[in-house]
Amino acid sequence: MLELNDLSIVYPENHGPLTAVDHVSLRLERGGRLGIIGESGCGKSSLALSLMGLNRKARTHGTIVYQGVQLNGQSDKAFKAVRWKKIAMVFQNGSEVLNPVLNVFEQLDEVLKTHRRFSTKQRRELVLTWLERVGLDRNWAFEFPHRLSGGMRQRALLAMALCCEPELLILDEPTSSLDARSRSELMGLIDSIQADQGYSLILISHQLSVIEAMTTDLLTLYAGQMMEYGPTHTLLHHPMHPYTRGLINASPDYQIYKELWGMPGGNHETPASNGCPFAPRCVQKGPRCKNSRPQVQIITDGRSLACNKGGIEILLKGEHLHKSFALKKGTVQALCDVNVELKSGEILAVLGKTGSGKSTLAHVLSGLYPSDQGRLTFWEPGLDSLSATRKRDGLQIVFQDPYSSTSHRMTVLDTVKEPLDILGWGTSESRRDAALSALAQVELPNKPEFLEKHGHALSGGQRQRLSLARALTMKPRILIADEITSMLDPSSRANLLRTLMGLQNAQGFSMIFITHDLFLARKVADRVMVMDRGRCIEQGSSVRVFQNPFHPRTRELVDTMLGNVKNEPMLGMKQNVYNLLKPREAETFFQVNHNKEQRRTP
Amino acid sequence: MNRFTKNLHYFSPTGKAGLIILSLFFLMAVFSARLTTHPHDVSSGKALMPPCFDHVLGTDDIGVDLWSQLVYGARISLLVGFLTAGISGCFGALVGMFAGYTGGWMDRFFMRIIDGMMVLPDLPVMIVLAAFFGPGLAQVILVLSLFSWVFTARIVRSRVLVIKQKEYVIYARISGAGPVYLMRKHLFPEVLPLVWVSMIRLAGKAIVAEAGLSFLGLGDPTSRSWGLIIYHATRFPGIYYTRFWTWWLLYPFLALSGMVLALAFVCRDLETLADPRMNQKISGGV
Repeated sequence: MLELNDLSIVYPENHGPLTAVDHVSLRLERGGRLGIIGESGCGKSSLALSLMGLNRKARTHGTIVYQGVQLNGQSDKAFKAVRWKKIAMVFQNGSEVLNPVLNVFEQLDEVLKTHRRFSTKQRRELVLTWLERVGLDRNWAFEFPHRLSGGMRQRALLAMALCCEPELLILDEPTSSLDARSRSELMGLIDSIQADQGYSLILISHQLSVIEAMTTDLLTLYAGQMMEYGPTHTLLHHPMHPYTRGLINASPDYQIYKELWGMPGGNHETPASNGCPFAPRCVQKGPRCKNSRPQVQIITDGRSLACNKGGIEILLKGEHLHKSFALKKGTVQALCDVNVELKSGEILAVLGKTGSGKSTLAHVLSGLYPSDQGRLTFWEPGLDSLSATRKRDGLQIVFQDPYSSTSHRMTVLDTVKEPLDILGWGTSESRRDAALSALAQVELPNKPEFLEKHGHALSGGQRQRLSLARALTMKPRILIADEITSMLDPSSRANLLRTLMGLQNAQGFSMIFITHDLFLARKVADRVMVMDRGRCIEQGSSVRVFQNPFHPRTRELVDTMLGNVKNEPMLGMKQNVYNLLKPREAETFFQVNHNKEQRRTP
Repeated sequence: MNRFTKNLHYFSPTGKAGLIILSLFFLMAVFSARLTTHPHDVSSGKALMPPCFDHVLGTDDIGVDLWSQLVYGARISLLVGFLTAGISGCFGALVGMFAGYTGGWMDRFFMRIIDGMMVLPDLPVMIVLAAFFGPGLAQVILVLSLFSWVFTARIVRSRVLVIKQKEYVIYARISGAGPVYLMRKHLFPEVLPLVWVSMIRLAGKAIVAEAGLSFLGLGDPTSRSWGLIIYHATRFPGIYYTRFWTWWLLYPFLALSGMVLALAFVCRDLETLADPRMNQKISGGV
């Protein structure tokens, strides 16, 4: 029905042309529901306005074809023929769009009068019917817009757009100023009317939950360029472009547990036209991204992607990893057929009880000892776990015990630049500079007197920051954090975690966060891997695993550590006892405790 | 020097006394020519003179001044003590570090040798060896070193085993540090205080052992160590029936005991300083 071919929209600005939409092609079928997401200024609204022919200042290249008729490049007539009658739009800001000197009825009436040929009586009836259909009481019809609430104004605008019975409805942020209840009401309304009328829908929104509920296909735009396109649900749950993932990670409706972090560097100048526009902010940019503009490639099942690296890279992949340790009697299987995958810019939390093989996994991945069986592949062919830890831009590990992971005898400066010294990287000045900047990153002072301090003169929190700084001097691509906060007090732990997460967001390194603290993992992780007795029993997105664990043991872990604690601490304890002991033993345990309590109270 | 004065603060009064006595002996050895008026190897007076103004500590059976012998003997004792300690300390440290670092069969091999050396009764074997090599200062030092390195090696190895498991060493290792780097940067500086302590202890032992060997007649007959003075004194037939022992035997004995006691005091304080639990106090080694 609607077809955009290589559409570009350029605003002739004083300091040079500004490309708002850059070579976008897409098709929308009758009854289709397309969502468009992207940061502010990415060209969503320009695109919508151009579809309505309302973007008079801009020059358009390429074609907008509606039902076989090219709209742009012609006189305004072509647009007039379809505007409101065929394509209608609900604007973002109700209070600005509605005419303040006309009441709601008059505004709707005006639209009908212009675009449809009805008698006055018919028009009146139609307006009032539509207002009722969108859930606005007749009494409000004769009020001026300023007397209406935001939700009511939005409804009036919707009625205005729908009263000409268009074939394509464009909604530009229809719900952004509404509360949750009005939002869901409005969404339901649009949904039910769509089922009734069968119009196609283009929905522009920052609220991803609205997008997911309302649309079937989704387009992500960045700097006017199409980054990713595909079925909404798949795209939102398995994004392939770092930008799409960044949008999802910054969205509170999807990151319900994790701390929210926006993509860093939002106010960059428009990047050079010959490279990938997202490259300056991308976590996995390579040398090619600077110079070569990514072409839109069709991946599978209606998904297409514009990324020079073919989407989010897989940095590390372990397949069928086995590791056992010899004991005096027999062996202990620390890792048993573990598969692990880490994407770029992702935080994978490895959870499990003590002795479940979490640290062994970290040690195998960082090359501390080789796995008995299985294959470990890294982002570069020919790289193994040994060479990955011995290069900049490689893999780094931070250990659990700050007192053991940094030498008490070495000075702060020597400790931080040690890996660079071992590598023989650069000159001694550049190593020192790298160490100083790493210290600044972890918020440790870099004054000379502090640099000369010995490890033993620092607190546990400081030493853990020191070992983090040491890893950061190597500008790692992957950071393995092995229970790094377990030995710190709550305040130092929170501070260290915030620093770490901030650094992760700014530098974009991938992280394997090993912990037994589910609360912490929930705050940190994008994806979760649960280990039990050396096996990986469950992997999935953090939200899914914590809300709906599949494996009974994961369920047990989540229930005992999170579920019951949330409701009643004592109940959680009780549940723990039941889990640990057999039912009869547990009964006895509580009976004995109960008797003791009774004896204590006279 | 600054660090030395800083560390001096941690010494106990006995340790300080030990240091003073030790430095006095050192001065004695260094300035022996200026401290004596008589030669130490040629007769300079009547035989068996009791202490008097000319010969402050008297003379021995052939009229050699005892004070001169004692002063020059300090040279021998210190030389033997510290050379033995140095050789065996360095060798032991190397072996210990190597065995601890490499582990596996190398470690087991060295440990069995050390165990064997430890259970051997050292004095009889030393006598046999000294007899085999013949009398002489170098031989004495060699024989003593041969038996002393095992203690240092054992201590160093156990410490290296602990440090090797520390995560900062593991981190350096996975960052690409080779054995030489690890030993130079991490292992050696960590075990150095322990090596110092064991060397001081060995010095005391070596001085006594040298005296023992000399006393048994296995020392260097041309030198005049304290052990040899005692050896000659006890060989004198009437030593137990006369009052000669009050100067001839007593003063070398006092010098020997003083030196060993001083070393023991210093060693005890150094041990406390080098204790891993007191690591905070000995940043950068003793």
